[in-house]
Parts: sequence; structure tokens; C-alpha cells
Amino acid sequence: MLKNYLKIAWRNLWKDKSFTTINVVGLTTAFGVAILLATAGFYELSYENFHENREKIYGVYIVQQTEDGSEAGISQPTPFAEALKTEVPGIAKTTRLLEDVSLIINGEKELMLNANWVDKDFFTMFSFPLEKGVNGNILENLGDVVLTKEAANKLFGRTDVIGQNINVLINGKQEPFTVGAIAKDLPKNTNMGFEIALRFERNPEYLDTKETWNEQYHSVYVELEDNVTAAQFEENTNSFVNLHYKDVIENAKNSGASPNEEGLYRQIKLLPLRDKHFTSFRKGYAEVSRSVPYLIMGVAFLILFIACVNYVNMSLAKSSQRLKEIGMRKTLGAKRKHLFFQFWGESFLIFMASAIMGVLLSLLLFDDFKTAFSTQASIDTLTTPLFWSLSFTIVLLVTLSVGGYPALVLSKLGTIQSLKGKLESNGKNRLRDLLMVVQFGIAILLITGTLVLRGQIEYMRNKDLGYDKAHVLSFPLNGKKESYALLNLLKDELRGNPDILEVSGADNNLGRGKDGSRSSSVIGFDYKGKIIRTNFLVVDPDYVPTLGLEMALGRNFNGIGDSIGILINEKMAEQLGEENILSASLPIDSDETSPILGVIKDYHFEDLDKAIEPITFYMSKDLPLTYAYVKVASSNMANSFEAVENAYKKLEPNADFLGSFLDENVDRTFRSEKSMALLITSGALIAIILSCIGLFAMSILVVTQRTKEIGIRKVIGASVANITFILTKDFLKLVLFAFLIASPIAWWFLKKWLENYEYRIDLSWAFFAVSGILAVAIAFLTIGTRTIGAAMANPVKSLRTE
Amino acid sequence: MLLQLKNIFKWVNSGGQRIFLLKDINLEVEEGEFISVMGPSGSGKSTLLNVIGMLDTFDEGEYNFLDESVHTLKEKHRSNLYKEYIGFVFQSYHLLDDLTVQENLEMPLLYKKFKGSERKAMVADMLDRFNIVGKKDLFPAQLSGGQQQLVGVARALIANPKLILADEPTGNLNSQQSEEIMQLFKKLNKEEGVTIIQVTHSEKNAAYGSRIINLLDGRKV
Repeated sequence: MLKNYLKIAWRNLWKDKSFTTINVVGLTTAFGVAILLATAGFYELSYENFHENREKIYGVYIVQQTEDGSEAGISQPTPFAEALKTEVPGIAKTTRLLEDVSLIINGEKELMLNANWVDKDFFTMFSFPLEKGVNGNILENLGDVVLTKEAANKLFGRTDVIGQNINVLINGKQEPFTVGAIAKDLPKNTNMGFEIALRFERNPEYLDTKETWNEQYHSVYVELEDNVTAAQFEENTNSFVNLHYKDVIENAKNSGASPNEEGLYRQIKLLPLRDKHFTSFRKGYAEVSRSVPYLIMGVAFLILFIACVNYVNMSLAKSSQRLKEIGMRKTLGAKRKHLFFQFWGESFLIFMASAIMGVLLSLLLFDDFKTAFSTQASIDTLTTPLFWSLSFTIVLLVTLSVGGYPALVLSKLGTIQSLKGKLESNGKNRLRDLLMVVQFGIAILLITGTLVLRGQIEYMRNKDLGYDKAHVLSFPLNGKKESYALLNLLKDELRGNPDILEVSGADNNLGRGKDGSRSSSVIGFDYKGKIIRTNFLVVDPDYVPTLGLEMALGRNFNGIGDSIGILINEKMAEQLGEENILSASLPIDSDETSPILGVIKDYHFEDLDKAIEPITFYMSKDLPLTYAYVKVASSNMANSFEAVENAYKKLEPNADFLGSFLDENVDRTFRSEKSMALLITSGALIAIILSCIGLFAMSILVVTQRTKEIGIRKVIGASVANITFILTKDFLKLVLFAFLIASPIAWWFLKKWLENYEYRIDLSWAFFAVSGILAVAIAFLTIGTRTIGAAMANPVKSLRTE
Repeated sequence: MLLQLKNIFKWVNSGGQRIFLLKDINLEVEEGEFISVMGPSGSGKSTLLNVIGMLDTFDEGEYNFLDESVHTLKEKHRSNLYKEYIGFVFQSYHLLDDLTVQENLEMPLLYKKFKGSERKAMVADMLDRFNIVGKKDLFPAQLSGGQQQLVGVARALIANPKLILADEPTGNLNSQQSEEIMQLFKKLNKEEGVTIIQVTHSEKNAAYGSRIINLLDGRKV
């Protein structure tokens, strides 16, 4: 029996090679793409899930009420963690965490490594596996460090380096440390990765801030005791806050901030570790959103859905060719279940073959996929039992429902009816139409998404940011030399070159450089009874001309001698609200006040998803510069870049030159937008192709079924155009309908998405019009070839075949 | 008695009017009879055959087949009944294009839970009886119409039915092929005692039967 089914299934599939191919190709693509996307989605969701104690670990963040509403952040002052542990019950373990880049020196080798400055309990709270020195003292002494295998290889060329000494540049001085343990290669799905881990007490800020409660620069994690819940703990911290932040709360009250719903001005909150990767504090509270992984998986689901719709539609349309067989088998005694299993078995064959080829396809494309979408997802995700059992269940469910539905319909047909070869058309086409509307709706949704996403990215790329991003390059000052001395040497070195226009430095980069690091520093002070908060940038006097910033009022620094003065931007001036801003001076340094020398026009020193904030430029020899900026002439830019590189290499022979032009840096800041755009675009493309395959197959079937009608119409005198119109109109109607349904949905989602950006494009009707026209045009081209061909055929021929 | 139809009515409603396909049909068929049903197009011949074969239902009346009252049986029992006792032969053969002659013959047995070895033996026996051993691996499209119908008859006979229903079995055949098929029917009826009911247009074919039933507008005349 089974053999017979297999045989007839195989022959049927073989006989209809084109349909089988279309189905297998479509389903294979869909399965392959879905597997790749699901891997990426699963990987995203797996962030921090390898820590054994993850359910008990929380990040500590602060919510503060200000006159502009609430603000949230994870930065804490140095004494915070210890005080919290001793004064509030419920904490089993705690660690501070300062993520930084430090210069590590081993003899001749100098490397900038990602450094985590942490407390001892870091390695007992988080499950970063150690390879060597497991039983040894992990960060027991202040002079111990933990190196990753990779870092040990980079520094020493080997990994058995326990007990070896290295030097770390701290505040300009080389300090000796001993390697106490080697960590295995770290899992990629963590935000707390490091190459070297050192004791928190040794970090460059520690000694100056040991007792200071108002300098916040690192995060704090706690592991709660078993019987304590996060809510209980948060409740218990209220008196702690009132004790240690009395002044802050007082200030907030004075400057007109209103308390939150619980009547508090400042609160300590806990953020579960598993939410860390998905949390943003931008809106003034901890906003946890897993929309990115869900979007990825959503696209995977939509593509799979489209391929399945193709399969159902084609199977049903094709069923008319098998009516005779169904009727005959029934006459010969086949029961419904026999027929159901026969047809379902055919589907099963196709689905299994497609699923297997889909897996192969995804393995084949895995590396390209990883590069294109810059995901760290590994093939390991594919081999976890959860992933396998889940995908197997999905394939089985899809096979059952998608293969089962046509099988059910076919097995239910009446004997006489099917022997006569006629199908009643009672609502069966309605299902087909519905499925095709959904299918094209998805495609239109994705096309619109593509257009808007790309539009926003183009807008962000081309927007005038208020500074010259095309002709300025920046690079980190990552060598051993003192930064101001190094900058002066660099200026001397480049002076003779006519293409080098300006050289300057600051303690922050613009955009995201090749080193990948980003930071922001904010200070607050009391000014005439008001709390003023401002971004803070340490600069060299030539910063304004180098970047081509414009002055709105006053003047730029007048050289090194001007170091008492400061520059502010218009936003800051607005916040200060002084009538004669140039005569004001601000208490930036606690010892003396700094006069405002000038006001610069607002420029976008942060990403375009943020409104421009107040910023203050400050010159100080005590605070080091970390990035150099060089303005070059518009001719010979490649040569100039090389000249800068050579100059830097000459001055810092052991350091890497990581320079790039600012427009590249700005481009790098929308990496996530770009990979999302790539995702949606590829999704849209695949969705369109699959939908068109389905549409094409449907048009073939419809034309075949209506051959006689076409012949009769022609004999009566219909024109080619007329017949093409009749055949095409039904399909185009569906596409138009899909457009009407999909557009509002797309509009809603895209509006929500664009609200993330302070500076954004208008969601104009043109986006929707273009995607609608595109969908109609593609659909017309797909079915047009077939229908025109059928309309032009000789009617005598088509009538004779009946 | 093999089967008995009592006051069978079958109708469809069209435009508020009841159109009768079968009207007050009474028929008794004894085992071993060879009956020809005749009548013009649309007189209800095929409908009557389908009702007898239990492929179609009727709206009023009684139908007894081997002492079972078909009109009270459920679908499942009905199909078991015809599966066991009735074989069908069609005007357009209705062989499955994707199966070879041998496989076409085997198919009814697949739905009756015969063992593999039994099936093989029965198919081989049938191929032998109809002299088509040499054609067992050919597909229907490779056979002439007469040969296809031969396979069709062999398929109808393979499960040893008591009754063969043939709906214009020679309608698509030329006169010589027709002659052969009719001779075959006659032989089956005489030598093996198979009851046959055939629908036909041709007086000549009808003459092979032992009794002729004439239909006009759904009525027996």
C-alpha cells in the first residue's frame, strides 16, 4: 500500500516537473531563509543567558526626577556599591563594572585591550568560564589580572602565562600586574565581554573618587539572596537614597521637579540581567524592547507563510487535473482516509525534501549571512536541541496544515462529481483569493518598509550636521605618550604639508570610529539656584576651526593661554537664560568660575535619534585628550590620509593607527539601521519573488482552465487586449485589495519606528504610492506574459482541445 | 434475488421546479441475469446505473441488495457493500494514467486488505485470463482503446464481484473492438455466472443481454 502511494506520488511529482520544481525551489528558499533568520533571532534572544545565576542578578539603575521629567541611567559613584551592600539587606554579592580600553604592555608589545575593571565577585556572579588558574586566586590581590586566551596569545604568543608580569598604563604611568587566570574564549552573546579583567580599585578614577558621591562613571550589578525579590529590594532602598542623596533630592525640589507617582524624587531600581541587552534608558525609564529579534523572526515567518500559500494554492488549483483519479479510486473502494493519506504523503515528500535542502542551503549561506547582517550568531545555535526540536515541530506542523488542507479538500469530493471531472466552485476560490491578498499584503508591507528605512538612512547620511564631516579625519591617541605633547609633535610633523589645514584634539570622537568605542560625559552644577546639566568636552584651542563649527556669538579660544574660558552651544545658552551671555561665568571647576568666551551654533555631536543637548567646551591640561582631529584640503585626500598615518606611526611606532574620516564614522553609527534595512530589503525581495512564482503558476492554471472560454470569446470577436484584460483583472484586483489593507498597517508600524528619531523624514504618501505601483507593475509583468500569449493563440486550436 | 428497486424517485430542484431524473422505478434483478438498459440521451440510464452501484443516492423509495436495505445504510457500510460485490466498467475506461496495466489491476485489491503475495497471484491470474501478460508493464496511453477497455473489465472483475455495472462500455470503441468486449461479457455471464447490467445505445449490443429495460424521461417504458 505504502509502496503504491510512494510510487504514484513520485510519478505525479515527476510528471508535473514544473510545479514540483516551483514548489520545491520556493519552499527550500523559504526554509533556508527562515532558518538563517531564526538563528539570528535566537542568537539575539540568547544574550546573557549562559550565566548560571542569571535569574538572581540585576543591574542597578537610578531614576531621577528633574524639571524636564524623569531621567534614568546606570552610572553610579565609587562608594555606592559597597554602601548598598552593607546598608540594604538582601544582597548576596555585588560587583562594580567599568568598561574601558587600556594600553597593556609586555616588553616591546603594546596593545589596546578591552578592559573590565571589576570587583572580586565578578567571576563568581557571572559564568565566564576560566581555563587556567581555575583554583587559583581570581583577582584575589589588587595586582592580579584575568586574561582571555585570545589576549594572552596576542600578548605572549602562548596561553600558559600564569604568574607572568605585564604593565598597564594607568594615568600615564606604567603599573605592574600579574596574570592570575586565563579565561576561555568568551561567549559572543554578552555585553560584558573583555580581553583583560582587573581589580576595580586600580582603575584610573578610583583614588580621586573613593569618597565622592557625585561622580558617576561605572555600572553596578547585584546578586540577590534567594528569598528576596527585586520589588522588595527596591522598596528597601528608599531610606538609603534619602540618606545618601539628600542634597540631590533637595536640589531637584528647588529647581521645580515634580515627584513621581510614588512621591519620590530619586529611586534605585533593578534591571534583570536577561533584559540588559534589550534595554534603553533614553525615554527616562528602563524601556525593555525585544522588537529587533521579534522583527527578524517575524520576517522569517512571513516568508515561510508566503511559500506555504503558494503550495496550498497550487495544490488546490492542480486538483482539477486529478479529479478522475480521485473518482476512480473512490469507485474502486478507497475511503476518505486512504485518499487523505495519499495526498498528504505527497505533500510530506515535498516538504521533507525542501526542509532538508533548506537546511543545506542555510549551512551553505551561513558565513555570507553572518557578514552581511553583522550578526555573531554561530552555527552552534543551529545544533542546540531546543532549536532542532522547535524547527522539527514547525516543519511537521506546516506539513500537517499546509499539506493537509488540500488533501482534506480533495478527499472530501463526491465520487460522481469527480468522475465527471467537474469541481463545484463553492467558496474555494475565496480561500485562494484571501491567501493571495495576504501574500501580496506582506510583500507590499515589506516594500514600503524598505523604502522608508532607506529614506531615513539617506536622510541621516545627507543631513548637514553642523560640522565638516567630509574633510576631517579623527583617530584615537592610543599610544604611550602624553596626549598634549603628542598632539604638539603631530602638529609640528604635519606643518609643512600644504594639504593639511588644521590639527586639533578632544576627549571624545564624533560618530563611531574604527576603534568602535563611544562615550559621553555629562556634568551638572548649581547655577543661580538651578541645576544645570551639560555635555562636557575637553578640547584643544583649534577644535572649532578644525571641525568648521560656526560661532553665533563671541569668539573662539585664543590659544593655550585662554584655558580659563569656556565655549558653550546655543542650547546651553538657552538653558542658562542669561540676557548677556558673554558676561556670565560658570562654576565648572570648584575653585574658580569660568567665563563664557563665545557661543557656537548648535551642531549634532550625538546621533540623529537624539535632540541636540547643551554642550560645554573646556580646555584643561589635567584631563587628557583621547582623539586627534585633522582637517585636510579637498584635493589629494587619500595622500593626506596617508601623510597623517605616517606621521602618527613615526611618533607612536607601537600603536595601531585607527583613523577614519568623520563621514565614515557617522555612517558607522547607523550600522543597526543598515542591517535592519538589509534585512527588510532582502525579506521584501524574497517575498516578492515567491509571491510572483505563486502568481505565475496561478496564471498558468487559470489560463489552462479557461482555454475554451478564451476560444469562444475570440470566435465571437473579442480583441486580444480585451481578453488580456479579462484574464488579468482578477489578479490585479487582489493586488489592489492587498495594497488597501497593507498600507495602513505599514503606515502605523513605520510611524512608530520613525518616532525613535528626533530628526526624521516625513512619512509621505509617495512611499505608499510607489510601493503600490511597484506591486501592481510586478504582478502585471508576471501574469501578463501568460495571459497575452493565451489571448493571441488561435481560437480554433483552443476549441479543438476541448 | 440479487437486488430489488421499489418505487425509486430521484429529482433535482431547478428554478422552483422539481425535475425528475428517476420516476417510480421498480426493478428486480436475479443472479446470473444480463440486462441491457436503453433509452435516448437524458433518459436517466446512467443515473439508474449509479444508483444501483451506490455511487449516487436517491430521494425516495427502497433499494435492497442481497437482503440489505441500502436506503437505510450509512455511507461507510454502503461503500463496503459495493466494494465487495460490484465492479464498474466505464465508457472512457477511467484507467489511472500514472499506473501500469499491472498496477491498475492491483489497485482495487489494495483497498481490500489482501496480502502482497495474494495480490500478485490474483493479478497474474487475471493477466493470464485476458491474455495481456505481455502488456503488463505498459501504461494506458500505450494501449489501443479496445485494449484499455479490456484492462478496465479485468480490473472490474479482479475482486470477484457478483455484479458488473457497465456504462456504455463500447461507446468509445470501433465495431470490431465492441464485438470483442461484448463477447467477453457474454462469456463471463454464461460461464462464470456474473450478473451484468449494461447501459447502451446500440440495439446490437443490447441483444447480447437476456432482458432489455427501456427508459424515457426517467420512467420505465
